[in-house]
Amino acid sequence: MSLLSSIIPSLNRTQSEQAQDGSAAPTVTPRYEIKENPDAFGLEVALPGVAKEDLELTIHEGEMTIVGRRSWKKPESWTQLYRETPLADFSLTLEHDNTFDAAKVHAELRDGVLRITLPKAEAIKPHKIAVV
Amino acid sequence: MKIVAYHQPRSATLAPLAAYTGRAPLVAFEREFDRLFNTAIADMFTLAPELGAGSNRFAVDLFEDKDNTYVRAELPGVDRKDINVEMVEDYLTISGSRKGFSADGKASEAVTFSRSVAIPEAVQADKVAAAYENGVLTVTLPKREEAKPRKISVEVK
Repeated sequence: MSLLSSIIPSLNRTQSEQAQDGSAAPTVTPRYEIKENPDAFGLEVALPGVAKEDLELTIHEGEMTIVGRRSWKKPESWTQLYRETPLADFSLTLEHDNTFDAAKVHAELRDGVLRITLPKAEAIKPHKIAVV
Repeated sequence: MKIVAYHQPRSATLAPLAAYTGRAPLVAFEREFDRLFNTAIADMFTLAPELGAGSNRFAVDLFEDKDNTYVRAELPGVDRKDINVEMVEDYLTISGSRKGFSADGKASEAVTFSRSVAIPEAVQADKVAAAYENGVLTVTLPKREEAKPRKISVEVK
């Protein structure tokens, strides 16, 4: 156990330290992918079973939070025989360095996949300077 | 002696630390390690690596009520016409392909997936219905008394 906790640092923390990270309610981290092209960053998050009205996307200074609540609840009459999908809500927090234009962020949720386009801020785009 | 060009750090190159201004630098490292380990552990134990190249396993739930058996499958980001639902004897097979995405929005190489689920009760194969909503496929399989082996293709709505 001590070997394991020396390998995985978060096991060594006390509960209160972990609660400060904001991970109080049980949540699962969704699968995500980050891509980049010269003009924008792209973020793709798999949120199966999350409807548009149950999705919350917040961009803070230096941090971006995606919370997806599962809208589907098992009807009363159904008996569960086998279950693999987690019941917990999705939660993903990503840190960023404010290098995109927050006003031009475009997000689209379709068929359980959230696609976010984060246009790069002018300041970090490469500029060609004409020599006079 | 070697002369190495000095590059003035820009905000972009200082990115990981810039996000932690005002906080102890070790906290930043600690959180970064937590994130790396949590991602690695999640990858090891996850049942449904929905996205990512080469991943083709997906999570399946099985429910029943007195008239039907229900199968729910998490298939985010799959086109309806790329999902095949097939009932062969007592097995429901869900298969299909998902197109990957590159940064410029063009579809890249497709990832195929397939999974068979044993249905515990005999099914009226001609009355099987499937619906796809929010990346979750729900297949409704009406129960029947005696089973006759046959193969039916089911249209996904």
